[in-house]
Amino acid sequence: MFKLNLKIALRNLWRNKGFSLINIGGLAIGLASCMILLLYVAYEWSYDKQFTDHDKTYVVYQNAVANGKTFSWAWTPNAMAPEVKEKIPGVKYASHSTYPNAKLITSGDKKLISTVIFADQSFVKILDYKFIKGNPDQVLKGINTIILTKSFAKKIFGNEDPINKTVTLDNQDVLKVEAVIDDVPANTSINFECLMPWALFEKKESWAKEKNWGSNICLTIVQLQDNKFFAEANADMKGIYKRNQKDKFTADALLHPLDKWHLYSDFENGKSVGGKIDQLKIFLMLAFCILLIACVNFMNLSTARSERRAKEVGIRKAIGSSRKSLISQFLLESVFITFISTILAFALVEISLSYFNNLLNIKLQIDYGNIKFWIALLALMLFAGFMAGSYPALYLSSFEPIKVLKGLKIRTDSSVSIRKILVVIQFVFAACLIVCTSVIYQQLKYAKNKPIGYDKSNLIQISVEGRMREESKLELLKTQLLKSGAASHVTTFSKDITENGNNTTGISWEGKNPNEIILFNNRGIGDNFIETIGTELVSGRVFSDKFPADTNSVMLNEAAVKMMRLKNPIGAIITWGGNTRLTNVGVVKDFVVESAYQKVAPMIFYSSRRDGAAVIIVRLNPNQNISSSLEKIDELVRETEPNYPVRRKFVDESFEAKFQNEKLLGTLSNWFGGFAIFISCLGLLGLALFMAEQRKKEISIRKVLGASTANILGLLNKDFIKLVAIANLIAFPLAYIIINKWLSAFEYRVPISVLPFVLALSISLIIAILTVSIQSVKVAKANPVDALKYE
Amino acid sequence: MIKIENLEKVYKTEEVETTALNGINLHVKAGEFVSIMGPSGCGKSTLLNVMGLLDKPEGGSYKFIDTELLTLNDRERSNFRKRNMGFVFQNFNLIDELTVFENIELPLIYNKVPATERKKLVNEIIERMNIVNRSGHFPQQLSGGQQQRVAVARALVTKPKLVLADEPTGNLDSSHGNEVMELLCELNETGTTIVMVTHSSHDASFSNRIINLKDGHVISEKINKSRNEELI
Repeated sequence: MFKLNLKIALRNLWRNKGFSLINIGGLAIGLASCMILLLYVAYEWSYDKQFTDHDKTYVVYQNAVANGKTFSWAWTPNAMAPEVKEKIPGVKYASHSTYPNAKLITSGDKKLISTVIFADQSFVKILDYKFIKGNPDQVLKGINTIILTKSFAKKIFGNEDPINKTVTLDNQDVLKVEAVIDDVPANTSINFECLMPWALFEKKESWAKEKNWGSNICLTIVQLQDNKFFAEANADMKGIYKRNQKDKFTADALLHPLDKWHLYSDFENGKSVGGKIDQLKIFLMLAFCILLIACVNFMNLSTARSERRAKEVGIRKAIGSSRKSLISQFLLESVFITFISTILAFALVEISLSYFNNLLNIKLQIDYGNIKFWIALLALMLFAGFMAGSYPALYLSSFEPIKVLKGLKIRTDSSVSIRKILVVIQFVFAACLIVCTSVIYQQLKYAKNKPIGYDKSNLIQISVEGRMREESKLELLKTQLLKSGAASHVTTFSKDITENGNNTTGISWEGKNPNEIILFNNRGIGDNFIETIGTELVSGRVFSDKFPADTNSVMLNEAAVKMMRLKNPIGAIITWGGNTRLTNVGVVKDFVVESAYQKVAPMIFYSSRRDGAAVIIVRLNPNQNISSSLEKIDELVRETEPNYPVRRKFVDESFEAKFQNEKLLGTLSNWFGGFAIFISCLGLLGLALFMAEQRKKEISIRKVLGASTANILGLLNKDFIKLVAIANLIAFPLAYIIINKWLSAFEYRVPISVLPFVLALSISLIIAILTVSIQSVKVAKANPVDALKYE
Repeated sequence: MIKIENLEKVYKTEEVETTALNGINLHVKAGEFVSIMGPSGCGKSTLLNVMGLLDKPEGGSYKFIDTELLTLNDRERSNFRKRNMGFVFQNFNLIDELTVFENIELPLIYNKVPATERKKLVNEIIERMNIVNRSGHFPQQLSGGQQQRVAVARALVTKPKLVLADEPTGNLDSSHGNEVMELLCELNETGTTIVMVTHSSHDASFSNRIINLKDGHVISEKINKSRNEELI
């Protein structure tokens, strides 16, 4: 029986090739979209879950109140880890480490900038990386040692055994390779290529040696013996700053699960309120919706063809088939078709995966060796197969044998209306997706085009490395850059201009409310800063050689002036760090260094003579060819510091990274929204095919009576236009609610206009009319006698 | 074998009620060949459908060798049908996607006959019907007469007690029609009970007894002497 049913299914597929193509193709695209989205969701979901005891591992966060807000971040002082290990109940390990940092690693003539971390021994106990060579119990004990990842070891030593070979860090410290670990998985929050002892960090940065509670310099990770200690431990963590800082404590601490670090990274009032998980939920929903649309398509097409199958059902029933066996036959058939579609979907996924990986800058791949993957795939296939087959199976098996065998037309009214509902559902999704996608793009464009306070095009940043840190060398380099004609302006900045970091609450001034805590970003700027980045001096003056007292001068941005409520900002006396009396000499226009979606935070500037510069910012000479300018710049930098590779980037490119999340959302919803619409069109095509077939006689009679092809097209299109219009009406409020919720997360947001809705309506209508017309033209143009002569 | 008493069947649509069967009484003995005749709309097809358990009447009784069939539920009806009845339709009703062999095999599969025996039974009947060289063909590749022979073969392969034929020659020319009628006669001679609905008195002349229906009533019954004599 099984074999026979399979044969019928195959022959049916073969006989109606067009239908089969639409059916299988639609389902395959749906399944492929669903699979890619699910792969992405699984990828994000398994972030940081590669470690054995990841569920017992926590990241220490601190909550600090400033500017009337609570800021939460996973930066903690170096005294945190030992204190936690000693005093907090149930703690198995507590480790402190630096965040990943770019450093120069050399061996022989190989010079590589590598991402490195300095950490203590507990770090590799908590995060049990897979050791390929070396003993995990013995590592990170000495000072001049290093652990390499497999691919970095290969990069630097080729195929030689790296153990006991040496590398040099920053051209200073000679380190012995003591272990090689497997590459850190792509979906982990702590990404590095080299791991070095904390002791080495302390040796290099003497200020880090002293135990203190005031400066947040490390990442502290804690592993509990058991999660039953969590409530108690977390409660104890809260007061840890207060207990240790006594007089002027600044923060609370809390334990945030490692599992949630990546997805639940947003905090409000010191509590986790979600984060990337919200986007993930959207994608999960999208995956489900696309699959649903594809299944609906399948239902539509199979029931539309029901008349062809009705006879078979009648005969089978007449010779003794029960309804149950018919239902199982049709379900089998749909599972079988889903199976074919799944194979096709596989091919589509494999082809498109590298494209998506490039687009989204992630590393998705199908893990064929993983049993979970196959189970999930099987479940997905069966789910789709049963869902797509359920309605057709129930519908087809309900035919009464005598009616169909007598050649009577089965009454299809009820099934037509269900099919219409299905088409409406499809187009509700499609219209929703169009509205949401266009608002996402509007928001993205709005945020990108919003003035950021400086001119980021043709602006490059060069990392200050090694000998470039010496003031005389730096000054010389700046002069050479200008002289060469490659740069029109040059300055320095104490931080990458597109990154956040370096802030302080330790600033006070006359008239400050002593209970008020204001968080200032603090940055050191070099000469010609204003001209180079293309911002404006609102009032006062810039730092200058002419004023030797400028070592005690600061500048503020407008946001700072506003926050400090300074009536006469120029000349205002500011205290920073308790005792230094500084004078404000100028006010700079606000410019964005953090999120382009949020208001600019207060910023205080100091002359970078007092502190090293992290980057040289160069305004390229507009009269010169860019690539030759860049070559010249690289050459000059290399001359100044030949031991380091030149690290140079365009500011506008780095700035783009701020939009990564929204771009990802936009791109994915654009692609998958497109797929959803395409699949819906296939369904519409099927329905149009069916309706035209059914109304063949009516159309012929109308033509005999004098209707033109246009009349007939209008007649056939009218119904579908109605359906799509209804779908849009349902979709609009839905889309409005969804997109309004999404937008509310942004401080700067584009107003919701009528444009996306008009767009959705017109796109869906045009697509629907085109799809239906392609099919109906054939019927409308057919010779009327063909349909009539058999009657 | 069949005792039908006071059978009633009414078709309802929104506007009108049509009485298709109005208190029909009919007895059929085992081994009989009965023709049902009458003008269009007299209810003869409805009667045949009720006898084949393809349709449910509103009232009356239908006993098949002492089993009351009208009280059976859907599953019992389809079980009874597949064990005891075979159908031959005017428009053949073969499944287009199955070959001749597979079409004939299908009722055996529903009756859970093992594969080897199925093959034997199907081959036997294909030989008997003289369609051996057609067994791998699809219905559309056959002439009408051949299709009807396949349909008859399918009706017979389970060796049913009762064969119900609904205008079996209606779509055939006279020579093919005669072939099918002769086939039914042969079948009847081997002991199968046949009830046939027909318009054609020529076809009816092959049967033992002719029943005339009009407006849902039996209006006359005629024993076909020539045929009965032949039998004797």
